[in-house]
Amino acid sequence: MKSSFKNHRQGHHFGLLCAVLFLAALLSLLSPQFLTTRNILNLLLQSSVNALLAAGMTLVIITGGIDLSVGSILGLTAVVTAGILQSPLPVPGAILGGLALGAGLGIANGLVVIKGKIPPFIATLGMMTLSRGLALSLSGGRPVTGLPREFLLLASSSVLGIPTPLWIVAAVYLAGTFLLARTNLGRYIYAVGNNMKASRYAGCPVPTTIITAYTLSGMLAALAGMVLVARLDSAQPVMGAGYELNAIAAVVVGGAALSGGTGNLGGTLLGAIMMAMITNAINILNISPFYAQILQGVVILAALFVHSAGKSPSRSCITRHYGPGRGQKFQGGEEV
Amino acid sequence: MGIDSTHRRFSWKGALARHSSALIFLFLFACFSLLSGRFLRIGNVVNILEQSSLLAVVAIGITFPIITGGIDLSVGSLVALCGALAAGLVTGHAVPVPLAIAMVLALGALLGGINGFIIVAGRFQPFVVTLATMAITRGATLVYTQGRPISGIPASFTFLGDRVAGIPVSLLILLIILILFQGLLRFTPFGAHLYALGGNEETARLAGISVHWIKIGAYSISGGMAALGGIILTARLWSAQPQAAVGLELQTIAAAVLGGVSLAGGSGGLAGTLLGALLMGTLANGLNLLGISSYLQQVIIGAIFIAAVMLDLWTKERHGESSQGALS
Repeated sequence: MKSSFKNHRQGHHFGLLCAVLFLAALLSLLSPQFLTTRNILNLLLQSSVNALLAAGMTLVIITGGIDLSVGSILGLTAVVTAGILQSPLPVPGAILGGLALGAGLGIANGLVVIKGKIPPFIATLGMMTLSRGLALSLSGGRPVTGLPREFLLLASSSVLGIPTPLWIVAAVYLAGTFLLARTNLGRYIYAVGNNMKASRYAGCPVPTTIITAYTLSGMLAALAGMVLVARLDSAQPVMGAGYELNAIAAVVVGGAALSGGTGNLGGTLLGAIMMAMITNAINILNISPFYAQILQGVVILAALFVHSAGKSPSRSCITRHYGPGRGQKFQGGEEV
Repeated sequence: MGIDSTHRRFSWKGALARHSSALIFLFLFACFSLLSGRFLRIGNVVNILEQSSLLAVVAIGITFPIITGGIDLSVGSLVALCGALAAGLVTGHAVPVPLAIAMVLALGALLGGINGFIIVAGRFQPFVVTLATMAITRGATLVYTQGRPISGIPASFTFLGDRVAGIPVSLLILLIILILFQGLLRFTPFGAHLYALGGNEETARLAGISVHWIKIGAYSISGGMAALGGIILTARLWSAQPQAAVGLELQTIAAAVLGGVSLAGGSGGLAGTLLGALLMGTLANGLNLLGISSYLQQVIIGAIFIAAVMLDLWTKERHGESSQGALS
């Protein structure tokens, strides 16, 4: 029992790693441009925003939920952070403010899911519309520009030859992996996703766990938004539209099941890199960008086939109700 | 579950539980009528119906996979692909309009069926499979149109987006679809099996229902209705846009959920979905008439969406405690 639990958590990325390396080998054969330091750094840089979103999404998906609002939270926090940056407040204050807003929106998601007993798909769909509307209303639909130079260093600077966003991604993934593998919270996150009722009876603080997962997801969306704003030198209210689906795709390619209880950040990172490699391949091989989405869809399907070998089917997270609602899974007299 | 509840003794709480979305609809309708003098005119009501019909047609389709406990994210892309193909067929290839429509509908049903087949054959989660086919279908639309709109649609086709004697043709199509599929759901074995499968797949399988074919059928209907949505959209705009209907899948899911269709499967119906679509159409129309910016509208729609679903769940929970308890 213990070993199978560990298997779920550690995962085995051998196949995915092979696929990424195979694709890399193929691309370096097809184009001499691929295996240059500049291109690899560029590829990783392009994957960084999606990787940050996907990290939070992984936590939420492991709990058996889903977060459709990350793209809109990215847009809203980007607009608000840029707005604070234009005020006399110091840059770190603006960054903290943006992160706090992302965390607050995540807490709201978690509360609606766990206290309002609304399925995560619906709760975060509402939040998605709401935050996008707020981003557009606050900015009047116009991009926010004229940001201080110190803030732009977030994307333009590099440490030891490696761009800062990559350090941020590395730090997030290391901290996240530590959290999932070594802390009680990580244990709870897997337990809730595996079997919420059982974990509740076992004394796991279900509401806190779930709210924390959504909070981290919202905060990471805010962080991703700041990296993106620093890179583009402007905050657009429509920024991040549709990113939630890219993040979910990275998580799924990374081997997590939407039914919860499985997956980890190593797989998600490989998934995000895999998706970025497709875009990169299309650029350097001069393929029409119209084929990008077709290839991404094919990769998701292929990943499903690879990961599903030997797994039993289960119902999707979107069917899950947290509490005695219409669902049959988690009801009974227990208190939430 | 949904069918039995109509036979219960009448109670106000029960009525509230079953029709909370209808009440919200009536409440909004009353509010808008009071706040704006232009809201309750025949012309405006017809406008709302016409504007909601596209969403309603696609949402009725998507209700079938949702009843099975699944979901279909590919409908927005399918609307774009089928709309573009219909436009391409009637302009570039000069295919007669009825034949072109039949071909596109068949293709939509086929692509939907392929979704269902992959889900059933691989025992995959519908969310992920249709997320992948959503990307593939959008890519195929971009490749087919080369990223450019297709225009020059003949009048014999744009007639579908027009009005006859003041009545929008798309509304008539919606009514036909509604009657057809309501009949399919209520009076055929397919409908009964669909609910059984959504309620408990394992039990349905053990009861001898061919679960796989029912699922494939549900996704085919969703694909076919998305194709019909694409045809209506192209006819209405007089052109096909490769980026049409981006995000429509989430709007249709929202409409179904507002109409009381549970994402857990096994409950809900087409009348509810239609009501959900009308609710969203009414909300957009009323807020427009009140002069609220389209940006702020999204905030309001998001908040009302969450509130409506909470109300629906809470009233159902309070009312249905005794009957639900037996299931667990």
